[in-house]
Amino acid sequence: MKQIDPDSVNVILATDCGSTTTKAILIRKVDGEYRQTHRGEAPTTVEEPAADVTLGVVNAVAEVAEMAGRRLIDDAGRILRPASGGEGCDLYISTSSAGGGLQMMVAGVVREMTAASAKRAALGAGAIVMDVLASNDRRLPHEQIHRIRELRPDMVLISGGTDGGTTRHVVQMAELIAPARPQPRFGAEYRMPVIFAGNRDAAPLVEQTFDESVQLSIVPNLRPVLERENLGPARDKIHDLFLEHVMAHAPGYDRLIRWTDAPIMPTPGAVGNILQRIAQQQRINVVGVDIGGATTDVFSVFDGTFNRTVSANLGMSYSISNVCAEATLPSILRWVHLEMEEGELRNHVKNKMIRPTTIPQTRESLFFEQAVAREALRLAYDQHKQFATTLKGVQQQRTVGDTFSQEASGQTLVDNMKLDLLVGSGGVLSHAPLMQQTAALLVDAFQPEGITWLAKDSIFMMPHLGVLAQVHPEAALQVFRRDCLISLGTCVAPRGTGAWGSPAFRYAISGGGLEEEGALSFGEIKRLPLGLGASARIVVEPARKVDAGAGPGRPLEGELRGGTVGVLLDARGRPLALPDDREACRKAMAQWVRDLDLVPPVPA
Amino acid sequence: MDKSIFLTVLAAGLFSWGGASPVLAQSPRPPGEVRAADFPNDAGDAVRVEWELSPDDQPQPAERLVVAYEILRREAGEEAFTRIGEETYQTRSFKDDGCTPGASYFYQVVALGPDGARSPAAAAGSPVTPVMQYFDFSQFWFGVILLIVGGSVIYFIQLARSGRELKVRPIAGLEAVDEAVGRATEMGRPCLYVPGILDINDMQTLAGVTVLSRVAGLTAEFDARLDVPTCRSLVMTACRETVEAAYLGAGRPDAFNEDSVYYLTDEQFGYVAGVTGKMLRERPAACFYMGAFFAESLILAETGNAVGAIQVAGTAMPSQLPFFVAACDYTLIGEELFAASAYLSGESHQLGSLKGQDVGKVLGGTLVVVGCLLSTAAVLTDAALLNQVLSYLTDHVLGNQGW
Repeated sequence: MKQIDPDSVNVILATDCGSTTTKAILIRKVDGEYRQTHRGEAPTTVEEPAADVTLGVVNAVAEVAEMAGRRLIDDAGRILRPASGGEGCDLYISTSSAGGGLQMMVAGVVREMTAASAKRAALGAGAIVMDVLASNDRRLPHEQIHRIRELRPDMVLISGGTDGGTTRHVVQMAELIAPARPQPRFGAEYRMPVIFAGNRDAAPLVEQTFDESVQLSIVPNLRPVLERENLGPARDKIHDLFLEHVMAHAPGYDRLIRWTDAPIMPTPGAVGNILQRIAQQQRINVVGVDIGGATTDVFSVFDGTFNRTVSANLGMSYSISNVCAEATLPSILRWVHLEMEEGELRNHVKNKMIRPTTIPQTRESLFFEQAVAREALRLAYDQHKQFATTLKGVQQQRTVGDTFSQEASGQTLVDNMKLDLLVGSGGVLSHAPLMQQTAALLVDAFQPEGITWLAKDSIFMMPHLGVLAQVHPEAALQVFRRDCLISLGTCVAPRGTGAWGSPAFRYAISGGGLEEEGALSFGEIKRLPLGLGASARIVVEPARKVDAGAGPGRPLEGELRGGTVGVLLDARGRPLALPDDREACRKAMAQWVRDLDLVPPVPA
Repeated sequence: MDKSIFLTVLAAGLFSWGGASPVLAQSPRPPGEVRAADFPNDAGDAVRVEWELSPDDQPQPAERLVVAYEILRREAGEEAFTRIGEETYQTRSFKDDGCTPGASYFYQVVALGPDGARSPAAAAGSPVTPVMQYFDFSQFWFGVILLIVGGSVIYFIQLARSGRELKVRPIAGLEAVDEAVGRATEMGRPCLYVPGILDINDMQTLAGVTVLSRVAGLTAEFDARLDVPTCRSLVMTACRETVEAAYLGAGRPDAFNEDSVYYLTDEQFGYVAGVTGKMLRERPAACFYMGAFFAESLILAETGNAVGAIQVAGTAMPSQLPFFVAACDYTLIGEELFAASAYLSGESHQLGSLKGQDVGKVLGGTLVVVGCLLSTAAVLTDAALLNQVLSYLTDHVLGNQGW
């Protein structure tokens, strides 16, 4: 990586090469602060007939240049550097998820231990994990070999055994992979990169197992002891190999790598990177979600621990049918306040399957899609909660006081009460006609508890900022705060349930032009305006057994951030339970739609 | 009248007439009304005889004139009464359990004074014929409780068989078995299983062997090493069979090594010394203690902790539980150990049985709470009704005739 003097950087150009679109943004130093000023996009050109990713990059950058009135591309079609006068940029960076991003296969000894750690390392590096092999995955060796041959991963990560632990199982796993000879997606002359991040005593034996057909890299054990993970070296090696092997063999990437001032990162890895930095800098717990057409990525940072999951079968277009199958139609229908039969809903699903790229044209279609999105997000978050857990196989320290409360290890790290910031991105969230619809989707699907700041990624800028954070963290964080996030507002939702109509909590809000006092009963939700940049103080006095964050029945004082939606006072109960009866549920939903102004106004 | 009584009365009359003497004591007056009735809720072989005390049978007399009551019986068709038993003074009933079902009997009761003086006999008015009852209604509450618990077991078994999921609360200790075996696999160390120090006829040992089946299945699946030292030869045999079956069930009969289950010694501390020595030498990564334990519990658990193993213990010995809880990662407490079989197998009949037993426990707990409340209220208010209800609850619902 080039050494960059942060003070000399005034103009930054960043691109994200997606599967279909290449997005470029221009960041400039304005009045001593970095701001995102212009944005452009063009179709990605990694496939035939162009088969050169840089063409799409140049097109997207050209659009930015045109809008900014700044020359960024020279006559030879290269990015101009450094910035001087009205042309060029000081820094060019890029992420990539073109061609399906980074696809990996991981292996470990025990599925819930070293194999889970390997999966976490791969996901954290921004990969899609195609399969996880383990000694206890209940597949016979020939089935495992068949599976390895069937997959065409970009890379393989092998872990297993603590340092000084088992070597037999690790070598057995390597002996399955070596003869299976997994074939890479790109390039016939390409040697499959295999990373070994397991028991150091097993490394020489693993080395003997593989021949020249693979490029074996040995890094420190990602689980040196069962009590601790060491994912950093494995993640770094994944990034290196992604550049050296995967990207170098994708059309045009060799040129793109030469252009960039920082290593190209897989898009999800870059998103995770910026979220981790924000959580670290502000000492907050963050959840981010990116819902796409085929997959939904969930990122979380709780108490400094980063986790990412990819729900490969939950999305809004190609995977919509699977969402309906997993969630069931009645579950989706409960989020629709209009009178809609299951048959109509089924028709919507089939139409979306036939034409996955269409966007809703009617109000009914919009509410239907948002109902599906709620369930897709909910399911993805459930999967994330199951994956983001404390380590398994760890010794516990007990006292006699634990006799009746022996908590098992492997508990989820995700605690909605501790969540400070919830960020949404992806078409259905970013392009909702009303900001309050985005907020309602996030609140209904994630059910944040206590006081939670809601935001959305304005133009899916997080990948650019993630890679920028590697070379210029200050610029990345400034742009993230000022331009990347659109603050929707704050959700206040105590934990607890009660009969609808019974008191839930009292509140008193002051500041930011808002002086409000009142009480809410269970089943109610209220929206109060609190503009962008404004803040206010709130005192919540929950009912007995209801917890606003300070303990059951105890008052809580906190800060509210304003936004395009304002403040949502949610007394519908946590966990949120909708009425079983369809008509009662529809009426409740209709009331909430009115309370939150979720129906777009009819154009005159 | 009975001849002996006649002679007694005659002799007493003669002495009394002679104005003499206290050599023969004065005969007590006879008991009052005598009643004989079939003894209820029996096989028809008993009769209850009741009488009113003789007027001379006073609770605190200056001189006791009645010292006992003699009970006489005559079967219909016989001539003479025969003595069938005796009860002490101040007693009002007698159970004659030497009857023949269907036969008719006559009864008499004679009050006996000191020095053998006898009162005139008092006879029951009519003969009594003991008959067999098909239902023992004295055990009514026992029957009710049995029906509730048994019915619940059958109901829950049927419910489970019909496909309904029966919720059993997660038992962390059993959930952790997978984790412990996984740890041993990753660390390349063996799993140690100690099935207690009692013989195979102890319930706890049997429950422990059930858990061993699960552990062995997992070690077969994970391809980890298993080490089972036993304290009794029969336990060793049972454990060997169990482990072999588990390896077979996991599709790894080739991996079964019968030497992994072995006998050390019957001696408690000799056994403990052997096991702890092995622990220190081989440093197992997972230790399981399931069964009956005594003083060795803390020695084993502390050694396991010292070698850095995940430890899962389970016992129904209350005195050893605190040691296991403090020194082990997870502990199965009493009932949890016995529930392990149903919990791990998930079979409908076992789960149904477990849930049915839970109903019984809830019922028992409820009766205890109600009894405590009634008792407290009875003491505070001294109300007769509450005392009656309480004694009914104690005698019939909870007593020998009930729970």
